[in-house]
Amino acid sequence: MARMHKSLYNVGALLKGLATTFGFMFVRRPTIEYPSVKKQHAPRFHGLHELRRYADAKERCIGCELCAVACPANAITVIGAENTPQDRRSPGERYAARYEIDELRCIFCGMCEEACPTDAIVLTPRFEMAGLRRGAFVYAKDRLLVPPTEGVGTAPDERPNGIPSDLGRVAEIKSTTDVQTGYDATNRGTILKKQRKGLAG
Amino acid sequence: MTAVATPVLMQGIGEADLRNIDVYRERGGYKQLARAFCEMTPASVLDLAKASGLRGRGGAGFPTGSKWGFLPSNDHPRYMVCNCDEAEPGTFKDRMLLEEAPHLVLEGILIGAYGIGCKHAFIYIRGEFKRGYEIMRRVVEEARAAGFIGKNLFGTGNDLEFTIHRGAGAYICGEETALLNSLEGKRGEPRLKPPFPAVEGLYKMPTVVNNVETLAYLVPILERGAQWFSAVGTDKSKGYKIVSVSGHVKKPGNYEVPMGTPVRDLIELAGGVREGRKVVAVQPGGGSSACIFEEHLDLGYDYESMQKAGSMLGSGAMVVFDDTTDFVRAAHSLVRFFAHESCGQCTPCREGGHWLEQTLERLVHGRGLPSDVDILKKASRQMTGLNLCALGDSIEPFLASVISRFPEQFEARVASPREVAASV
Amino acid sequence: MAEQPQSVSVNIDGAKISVPKGTLLVEAAKLVQKEIPVYCYHPKLGPAGLCRICLVEIEGMPKLQIACNTPVTDGMVVHTYNDKVNAGRRAVLEFFLLNHPLDCPICDKGGECDLQDFSMAYGQGASRLAEPKVSKPKAVDLGPTIVLDEERCIVCQRCVRFDDIITGERSLIVKDRGYRDIIATATDDPYRSNFSGNVTELCPVGALTSKTYRFKSRPWDLHRTTTTCTQCAVGCQMQVDERVGEVARTMSIPDDDAVSDGWLCDRGRYNIGFYRDERRLQTPLYRVDGQWTQVGWDDAFALWAKALREAVASGGEQSVGVLGGGRLLNEEAYLLQHLFRSLGVRNLDWRAGTQRQATPGSNAGSLQDLENAQAIVLVGESPAQLAPVMDLRIRKAVSRHRAKLIRVGAIDPLPVVACTTLESAAEVPKALPAGAERVALVWDGVDPKLAREVVAALSDFSGLKTFIASGQNNARGAEVMGMHPAFGPGFAEVDGGKDFSGMVAAARSHSLRALSIFGANPALHYPDGVAIREALRNVPFLAVADLFLTETAQAANLVLPACGGFEKTGTTVNVTAVALPVNAALEPPEGALTDLEMLGCLARALEVQLPSVTELENSVIKHLVATAPSFGLGDAKVCGTTQFGQASRTGGPKLIARTDIFSGGGTVAHDGRIESLRPLPEAAVSPACAQQLGLSTGDCCDLRSGDQTMHDLLVEVRPGLADDVVVVVAGLPDDPANALGFEPVAELINVRRARELAPVGVSP
Repeated sequence: MARMHKSLYNVGALLKGLATTFGFMFVRRPTIEYPSVKKQHAPRFHGLHELRRYADAKERCIGCELCAVACPANAITVIGAENTPQDRRSPGERYAARYEIDELRCIFCGMCEEACPTDAIVLTPRFEMAGLRRGAFVYAKDRLLVPPTEGVGTAPDERPNGIPSDLGRVAEIKSTTDVQTGYDATNRGTILKKQRKGLAG
Repeated sequence: MTAVATPVLMQGIGEADLRNIDVYRERGGYKQLARAFCEMTPASVLDLAKASGLRGRGGAGFPTGSKWGFLPSNDHPRYMVCNCDEAEPGTFKDRMLLEEAPHLVLEGILIGAYGIGCKHAFIYIRGEFKRGYEIMRRVVEEARAAGFIGKNLFGTGNDLEFTIHRGAGAYICGEETALLNSLEGKRGEPRLKPPFPAVEGLYKMPTVVNNVETLAYLVPILERGAQWFSAVGTDKSKGYKIVSVSGHVKKPGNYEVPMGTPVRDLIELAGGVREGRKVVAVQPGGGSSACIFEEHLDLGYDYESMQKAGSMLGSGAMVVFDDTTDFVRAAHSLVRFFAHESCGQCTPCREGGHWLEQTLERLVHGRGLPSDVDILKKASRQMTGLNLCALGDSIEPFLASVISRFPEQFEARVASPREVAASV
Repeated sequence: MAEQPQSVSVNIDGAKISVPKGTLLVEAAKLVQKEIPVYCYHPKLGPAGLCRICLVEIEGMPKLQIACNTPVTDGMVVHTYNDKVNAGRRAVLEFFLLNHPLDCPICDKGGECDLQDFSMAYGQGASRLAEPKVSKPKAVDLGPTIVLDEERCIVCQRCVRFDDIITGERSLIVKDRGYRDIIATATDDPYRSNFSGNVTELCPVGALTSKTYRFKSRPWDLHRTTTTCTQCAVGCQMQVDERVGEVARTMSIPDDDAVSDGWLCDRGRYNIGFYRDERRLQTPLYRVDGQWTQVGWDDAFALWAKALREAVASGGEQSVGVLGGGRLLNEEAYLLQHLFRSLGVRNLDWRAGTQRQATPGSNAGSLQDLENAQAIVLVGESPAQLAPVMDLRIRKAVSRHRAKLIRVGAIDPLPVVACTTLESAAEVPKALPAGAERVALVWDGVDPKLAREVVAALSDFSGLKTFIASGQNNARGAEVMGMHPAFGPGFAEVDGGKDFSGMVAAARSHSLRALSIFGANPALHYPDGVAIREALRNVPFLAVADLFLTETAQAANLVLPACGGFEKTGTTVNVTAVALPVNAALEPPEGALTDLEMLGCLARALEVQLPSVTELENSVIKHLVATAPSFGLGDAKVCGTTQFGQASRTGGPKLIARTDIFSGGGTVAHDGRIESLRPLPEAAVSPACAQQLGLSTGDCCDLRSGDQTMHDLLVEVRPGLADDVVVVVAGLPDDPANALGFEPVAELINVRRARELAPVGVSP
């Protein structure tokens, strides 16, 4: 009797387990077929860094090193230099001659973004940065800075007070990121194209 | 009883050409100088100055005799400097004396110099007083030719040299240490005190700096005695005073009256205000003094009464405001002056003056912010008492007195945000 | 009755302290660790009472008082931190920040800025100013070294007062007035001073910045090392701030009263770029058939040791010579002479230039003696260019302690302080102020005869203190360590060898077979350029250890890359015989060795036993530095028979070379950051001479002697010079002053007027 009761009990558990299994047959699959399908991240996902520009193509970064100070992982190295009238990189007097982030050390906390007085360094939702050499993860200006042909940069700007007023005499500078559309890490090109169209129009 | 002007220093001005040494001597000029040199010791001149109760007429009202008494009794060379850098807004008495009675001024300086035992006296003339400077140069040449300046004066073996220095046009050089710096050829900036000029003044030597009017009064005091001078006036403010009355009066000008003459009488003396107007405020002592109001008009014009009324006698420049006055513009004009004339040494004066000026400028144009009146009050209060010299403290008295008396005038200039937006 | 320093007691925030009468409140507060914020006050400049931030409450006084100009009185009760005081400071800070730009992120001072610090401590968060801030010029080029940001300036006038009180040059002023105040030079000329860098340190905000440091770094990035400046013999204590392997800047140590008095000269401060210059040697070079070949260090030592052994074997010990020590550290100088004396070599000398003596011997004084002297006699060239910070002390003695300055045999421009120039030593006693007891004599070490004469003339003064201002940082150390032909370590008398002039003569007669030079550039500095070039050519084996391929190194067979002062650790002896520590602040470049390492390796190759470093440090060096020799100035045994200062020929202007702090072919010539500071070749003549030759300042001329010519010299008419001399700048690589040979009679030719384009040949 006791044995019988036990086996019946086991059947119950079995059915219960199977019910869970079968139940999931009718639920949408959470896995996606990466890389042919890519996930849409939250708009404020902390991914790869980007150094933005002003609308007149000047670099936003003034080389103040506040990001490097704020960085809890010591991942940022900035070395400043002085703008010359012949070679003016940023508004004001100072620009970052060297700007390097060791993405392997970075913990993507976004403190650099918080610290930046000019909104130059921002975290994009881009996350694909696998590499074969450790050295390749030290991102310098050549990979961080938005190319001058591609607008101001694509990171969202959702601060409570919007974009802080600009330093120096660059009053006309505004963000051209489309806040409504947001952006997708995978179709940056499309958005950039749209933006350029918008700018041209 | 209506007050009548009693010309002492102003005696003869407008009647005779006192710029001419012969005319001046005919009227008894340089007799007191000769008497001082020949019959008196420096100590007795000093005693006379002390006994007369003469107080500095430049603004601070410090007893002249005591000031001289601060000179150390060492054998360093000492200097007498006459401060003729009269630039206080509303004051024009020294200019009149310089241009109309220059010999009297010179005689006073020379007597004062003798009184402190100095061998070299200076007069520092305001840069803008070009005419007065030229008159003084001629006068000094005449006096030198007549033997009142130079070596072995009156055969007594006493030497006295005299130098005229013309400033370059800075209000701050009326401050005695800035004046000394300027006289030495340095930038006209007040010096850090202590040491005071009586100990370390011109060229680091003991120096007395006295106002033109103060020194000029020495001549009649010598002539008529200390008793004559100290009998006039009030208990603590003795003698006569030239008052420069200006503003909303019919006959602005210099009026020489005994100390303690009621303010109302002084206004009457200057012809009173225009018909149908009434006096609402009087600035009794130049640009850096607070306003006194209707209820104070019966007070005597002397150091103590003015202080009691919350203001000061200052250099004796009385500016009368009637009921048509726009006190915002008046304040703006004064503050702009002080901000412009700040030498820039001390931070509160340098930055605060400019801040107040900008704020008032906005108010004048009707673009004031709601916080502006508060800022005017607080910032002017905040910059007072923190500065090296008195210039930084000169803004607050007038501003504070008119804001507290006529707040509606200031508040009326505060614009609504919409107006501000429209005006930008 | 002598004045007794009275002491008064004061209560500062509850802490009672007794201080001498007259102490300023701000200084008294430091003693009880109470901070009173200051901007315009500086301990070396005194109170100015301008910034009004140092407010304190003194009981019994109605208003807040400034602590910087309030002397402590007995029984004073002071509060430096309470609500009333803080409200006053907050008020003043609000005024400071009204028009101060908020560009802290890009400001070089950000992080070490007094305005930032005190704003955090006492200031309020927001500004009540509704208007735009006052706009003033930014990045004003004030001079070759300094950039000024007028907007950031808070007009504390520290820079202006430094230029007035400390240097006495008075070129900086405050222009305009009120809120439009700006700092500028009085004449609108560039701000040039040998001490200009100090104003950047004095500036409490980021208004004055050094061109060499602008935007290079933020203060928190820097790694700081305290060391001794090795540019001249004063031995100023300094901080070296390093970042990513480079010297970002150097800073003075404000409380280094004993040596530098808290100041640095511009050479010491700004000549730091050479450490990472591309031209720096990184591998030993060996000349094979006239071509340089890179060799490894092992091969270099083998070649060197072989050449020395062969030279000793073939020509005897007398055919080997060593020059160096004046630029080495004590340890290195000691090992150098130890190594070569172990080989039997007696030809050792440190004197590559005109200086004959570095140790004043008896009567040697301290820098405090110099400051407190009642009369200072400068013999020969003044320390103004040789040891600038020493000159600052002389200026202090003259301008603030009312000492009388007297020059004998002067060649350099008139000093900024009052000075009496004399023709001969015999006039010196008469020129001294009446009743002078404390007399200081500062000699450039060049003309022993003149020095002896002046000392003899002053023999009546028991309080005479003597100094020798050396241009080489460790000349005195080299001498006491035994890098001298006549003296071993500690001035022990040894069998005499040849001095460097003797070695040059021997080399010219082909009897010197091997010469090793450490940290010296005789090709540029030896007074007879013709002789030294021939000598260097004739030596069969010449080894030169240096940082760069200098004029001397170019003539060498073996060149060894050495390390500079910031890359070494050891001790140096300064002008007043104080042993000062040198600490490494930088990693030397790969491939360069310190002289100490080199000597160790060479000793191993030569199989010579050297004392251990510990032994050196603990016993030898300390013991030697304390040696007090008994000889005097211009001693015949020290100076030898060679004599450079006395030009004897007649018949035309005699050529005399003077030093400039930025002359030299080594560290200055290889520092791109200070290119604009290097002096132009000049020919200075007296007004009478100029009139005779029809010259005026700004003209251009050549100098000729025999078949040698110095080209393109700018003529300068300089009052105070003798009528028969032409003074040129020594040690310029592009126009060496020794090119015309030994003390030549020069001929001014090819004079071009300042305003003429076509050159006109004029022969005097």
